[in-house]
Amino acid sequence: MEKMTSPYRWGMVIDLDRCTGCGACVVACQAENNVALCDKKEISEGRGMQWLRIERFWAGEYPDVRVRFLPVLCQHCHDAPCEPVCPVYASYHNPDGLNGQVYNRCVGTRYCGNNCPYAVRVFNFYPHTWPQPLDSQLSPDITVRSRGVMEKCTFCVQRIRRAKEEARGEERVIRDGEVQPACSQTCPSEALVFGNLADPRSRVSRLSRSPRRFQLLEHLGTHPSVYYLKGGGREHV
Amino acid sequence: MSDTPVARSATQLNDELLSSLRPPSRRWYLLVLFLLAVVAWGLVAFTWQVTHGMYVTGKNRPVMWGFYITGFVFWVGLSHSGTMVSSILRLSRANWRRPILRAAEAMTVFCILVAGLFPLIHLGRNWTFFYMIPYPNQRGLWPNFRSALLWDMTAITAYIIGSSLFLYLGMLPDLAVARDRSGGWRRKLYGLLAMGWRGSAHEWAVYHRASTLMAALIIPVAVSVHSIVAWDFAVTVVPGWHSTIFPPYFVIGAILSGVAAVITLMIIIRRAFNLEAYLTPLHFDNMGKLLLVISLLWSYAYFVEVQTTWYAHEPIEWEVFSFMADTYTPQLLLMLAGNSVVPIAFMCFRRLRRSISVMLTVSLLVNVAMFIERFLIIVPSLSHKNMPFAWGSYSPSWVEISVNIAAVAGFALLFVLFAKLFPIVALTDVRELEVREAEVPLGRTRLPSIAGKE
Amino acid sequence: MKRRTFLQLGGMTAAGAALAGCRSGNEKLIPYLIPADEGVTPGKAEYYASSCRFCPAGCGILVRVSDGRAKKVEGNPAHPVNRGKLCARGQAILQELYHPDRIAQPLKRSGSRGSGEFRKISWDEGIALLTEKLKALQQEKTTDRLALLTPPLSGTLADLTDRFMAAFGSPNHLSFELLAPDWLRRATRQAFGRASLPWYDLAETRYLLGFGADFVEHHLSPVQYGHAFGRMRQARDTVRGHFTYVGGRMSLTGASADRWLPARPGSEGTLALGLARLILADSLHDEQALAASGLQREKLLRRLAGYQLTRVAEQTGLPQQAIVEVAREFATTRPALAMAGEAVAFQSNGPEAVRAVLLLNLLAGNLNRPGGVYPAGGGGAGPENSFSGLLSLVAKMRADRIGVAMIQGNPVHAIPPATGFQEALARVPFIVSFATLLDDTALQADLILPDHAALESWGDVIPQGSAREAVVGLIQPVVTPLGDTRQIPDSLLATAHRLGGGMAASLPFQSYREMVKGAMRRRIAPARGTDFETAWTELLRQGGLFGKIGSTGEGFRRATAAAWPEPGEPRFAGDEKEYPLHLQVFPSTAFYDGRGAPLPWLQQLPDPMSTVVWDSWVEINPRTAAELGISHGDLVEVTSPAGSLRAPAVIYPGIRPDMVAIPLGQGQQGGGRYARGRGANPLSLLAMIDEGTEPRPAWHATRVRLTRVSEKGNLVTAGHPQGSYRSDLVGI
Repeated sequence: MEKMTSPYRWGMVIDLDRCTGCGACVVACQAENNVALCDKKEISEGRGMQWLRIERFWAGEYPDVRVRFLPVLCQHCHDAPCEPVCPVYASYHNPDGLNGQVYNRCVGTRYCGNNCPYAVRVFNFYPHTWPQPLDSQLSPDITVRSRGVMEKCTFCVQRIRRAKEEARGEERVIRDGEVQPACSQTCPSEALVFGNLADPRSRVSRLSRSPRRFQLLEHLGTHPSVYYLKGGGREHV
Repeated sequence: MSDTPVARSATQLNDELLSSLRPPSRRWYLLVLFLLAVVAWGLVAFTWQVTHGMYVTGKNRPVMWGFYITGFVFWVGLSHSGTMVSSILRLSRANWRRPILRAAEAMTVFCILVAGLFPLIHLGRNWTFFYMIPYPNQRGLWPNFRSALLWDMTAITAYIIGSSLFLYLGMLPDLAVARDRSGGWRRKLYGLLAMGWRGSAHEWAVYHRASTLMAALIIPVAVSVHSIVAWDFAVTVVPGWHSTIFPPYFVIGAILSGVAAVITLMIIIRRAFNLEAYLTPLHFDNMGKLLLVISLLWSYAYFVEVQTTWYAHEPIEWEVFSFMADTYTPQLLLMLAGNSVVPIAFMCFRRLRRSISVMLTVSLLVNVAMFIERFLIIVPSLSHKNMPFAWGSYSPSWVEISVNIAAVAGFALLFVLFAKLFPIVALTDVRELEVREAEVPLGRTRLPSIAGKE
Repeated sequence: MKRRTFLQLGGMTAAGAALAGCRSGNEKLIPYLIPADEGVTPGKAEYYASSCRFCPAGCGILVRVSDGRAKKVEGNPAHPVNRGKLCARGQAILQELYHPDRIAQPLKRSGSRGSGEFRKISWDEGIALLTEKLKALQQEKTTDRLALLTPPLSGTLADLTDRFMAAFGSPNHLSFELLAPDWLRRATRQAFGRASLPWYDLAETRYLLGFGADFVEHHLSPVQYGHAFGRMRQARDTVRGHFTYVGGRMSLTGASADRWLPARPGSEGTLALGLARLILADSLHDEQALAASGLQREKLLRRLAGYQLTRVAEQTGLPQQAIVEVAREFATTRPALAMAGEAVAFQSNGPEAVRAVLLLNLLAGNLNRPGGVYPAGGGGAGPENSFSGLLSLVAKMRADRIGVAMIQGNPVHAIPPATGFQEALARVPFIVSFATLLDDTALQADLILPDHAALESWGDVIPQGSAREAVVGLIQPVVTPLGDTRQIPDSLLATAHRLGGGMAASLPFQSYREMVKGAMRRRIAPARGTDFETAWTELLRQGGLFGKIGSTGEGFRRATAAAWPEPGEPRFAGDEKEYPLHLQVFPSTAFYDGRGAPLPWLQQLPDPMSTVVWDSWVEINPRTAAELGISHGDLVEVTSPAGSLRAPAVIYPGIRPDMVAIPLGQGQQGGGRYARGRGANPLSLLAMIDEGTEPRPAWHATRVRLTRVSEKGNLVTAGHPQGSYRSDLVGI
């Protein structure tokens, strides 16, 4: 148990009953975080670089077919399997409860990528470039990663940092809803909700107490910061 | 060929056993050149990887480790050869170890050196490898000793140092003999390395105590090295890796691998250096028995792993195993044949144990099977981790295959160079035995030697 | 050395160092103190409000601009349509702005049409060339030989083009888009008396019965309805809205449904009327609503006599039990809502089927009520049948009655060749394209006057299907234009001015920006004070003019003049024996009608249902695939009476065994490096059906056959094919 040195414990609730699988979050994340452009060949080799993926499952047989969408991103586990295995502390846990990745410290052993049970870590197998002028779109607030380095969702830590600076300037804490990662900001159906789990009145805290809640791969004891709310059901009133 | 050593004169022994040190023939040069070429090709492949990116390998998400780590574990396993043969046999006073222990110890050192290269090769940013070394730096950064990779680094470094010392220590008297019988640059080299060994009784006493101590100490180091390498996998949450049997299983596998490699090596140097008189069927017989025992142990360990997975039928664990069995059926069968069925079946028979050709086949087969075994541990588990949408597959690229082949060539090159420069058979050990068991003429009778038992 | 030498050397070195230090670094510091460029502070970002025009929904956006470069697009929280949310396509418009293959200045064709050989020319030359061609038409008194093709326009651009064409004297302005909701306007008029787009109160409904209305991907206003869907499900404490989806293919929208009814293509109208009959038979309908529309239960039942359960079940291929359950659920869960979409509308009996679905709303008594349909709530005045306009223009072009065609958009790719459009267009002597990329239409053009990207443009847009509020979204540039491009309206203005006379008089604006500003001034002048400039800045900052919820008229009733919907047997192009499968061509989430294909983020976005990237594909039911010996990823050939194409196969459990589906958007010959030569265009498979009295865009009424070609489909999916069936391992 770590001491509460920070007033924040960032977390996210993903409501699978609201998620329509539209994919807006995936593109928003790519745009916000300088995620590399990958062509067909790269993706066919299993080297896609998207930080957030929408898993689509089929269940049943025609005509009793059911589809389930599952947005999967870094779970920012409190007992993250990726942290103890990095030999150089490139993967570390910050006081806000985020799992951070230090790009310029990473030597590229890829041990963290193996040990992440959610397979959310992606590795820069290729040196990635953006044909001009697509590189004009790159955000200056976030590194463009070189080859040989691991990366993953950071809960848009650059936005959190910016919000913290503003809040510090005004001598207050970040308000609920003030900072949103790109994915939750753009989600049309508001399936992704982000906020401070340490604040029991925040929207994310309230949703995380829902009876529909579950966590991915709970049996592994990773204690993720992401809660999912079960979707589906035929009841209508 | 009789089993007991034929009484020879000291000079004859020295001559025969040091025959490998004579100036190299054209064939030797060709061999070295060939090995250099293969190693150079491996360097080309590696340079290609470093300059272009890891995409030249077959790795991807989710299979982020592939042939390089397979090679790493395999070579660490092979490095247990020396420990097994040399130290354990030394401590158990098995006399038949004597002709082979130098080759085994040398093998250990070179295997672990080659193994130690792989973690550097597989890095995404090889040029920043030194971040893993705990050196004082102005950012106050320390590597993460909770990581099994750091344990690897520590253990392998310790093992390299330990086994090199072990080899060197054992070689001291031989180096002295070589020094005394050579001239020119060789004399200088051996003289430097022999550290002024004079063969006094005191020196021999210290030598024996030190060797015994080293032999005892190197065993926990070796066991820990491979346990630590096993922990690279066992301490993760990857299904199929997270298994408590891994450390002993890996150590057993390593010993199996090492013993088989020693057998192969024995056969090669026996032919190459005409050491038929010293590496007799008795030696192969005993190594064969060793192989049998270890193979039985390995089979048990593997059976336990499969049986517990099958019995508990935890969904993802069973998924990994069935995927492996379905996708890699021929490899699985070859592995079981090579590690289990063939050694157990063949090594039960004395006649087969004594047959050089059978031993060669079996030992090579064991190592091929062991390489496959490492691969089947690493890749299928990573291909089928907990999130089925993200399952994947892996096949090695030319870069990875080239580097692995170059590793074999590199090892062979090191060994060939070593064999040319240093006595490949521990001649003082062999002579020691001769002296102990020979009959010494004393006056008009011949009495058994009174040189003390060890 | 000697001491003296040492002192000399030491002194010189010291002096040299000091002198070097003396040179001031000021000339290096100054650029950071005084910003180079319009008050831009390095590292500090500004947000600009604008509107997205990647689809007719017209969502409001905020663009984050740093160092004069657009970095990120977000939804505008103040905008009533999307309320701060934005879809995948909207997020990708940055790549339209910064596309590496953008046309940077006007081009004149130097090779043959389609060769892609163009010569760079100046704007002066370009406008002069166009003016010359138009002047010739004026002189020959054949001004009706000018044709203008655009997507459906709204706001000031619609006004400008109307004026331009009127002043020039040509009736040939075709506002056509494949997915334009003309059919819905018409059905609404026929059902409820007023031609408008309905607005569906999805958020407050308790039972949504969707007939092929794919609001998540594209129907009317995806972000708005996506947001409403989320609220329908989980925004109310004890109520979770139920969703039943009717359609032969489980679309992305259908995947979120609680119940999927895979009705036979073309039987949706029959199903709707069958449900109506069941509801009336059990007296579960809303009495008041029926009475208010002057309808009587008994009469209706007689009318619906032909739609008894057994016949409906047989026609639709659905189990009777399910039909009965859905009828009961729909009628007893209030408020309920029925929507009809493109999948239904583009059948041969589409228009009738859509009206039948709208009728269900009447029975449920949900007109103009929370959780129901607001027939006039969706705004967006527009044509009811631009398809017939298309066919008449095609006829004219074929008859050599069009001399100059000015084209906005990419109709060469996005209109099915079966209409004869591409062939007829080839006969037009002079084609002008306003494309930003060398797309299929631009490749056929003689002159290209490249448009600005959306993020470089001025404009206004009336969002399609907007939420009962009078919204005029503003579009403003967020960066200075990257190349020597001009907005289409500015090109038209320049041409008009050059033509002089009546043309110049009818468009006396210096720039399009001026025109937009003027239009806004007229809109708000009565309400505000005299200081328009302040108001204008405020509007730009906000992103548009957002009105209050308007009154849309109480008590909507069925239009008495409308004929009763009788969706007859659906007809399909292609003989059933020769072409045993129904083809559904659908706009994919990423590409819409193809406009998304040039953008790499959208090519890289795995299609949500098939998870395919960078390709086209054919969705096949597993049983059908097994019968035809087709495995996942095989290359298959799809043949229709109109043509054939090859694409990799995707095993798709959510589609009827007698149907296959292919996404729209790929198969472009131009469109830049990311779209070019990739995949196949399924529009080439669509055949026309002879429907008798009037032509209908029956895009979903073509039959096809399927053959396996090889295993080399080169299909790449983001998801593992077998892993996609193992949700049990993840616990969902």
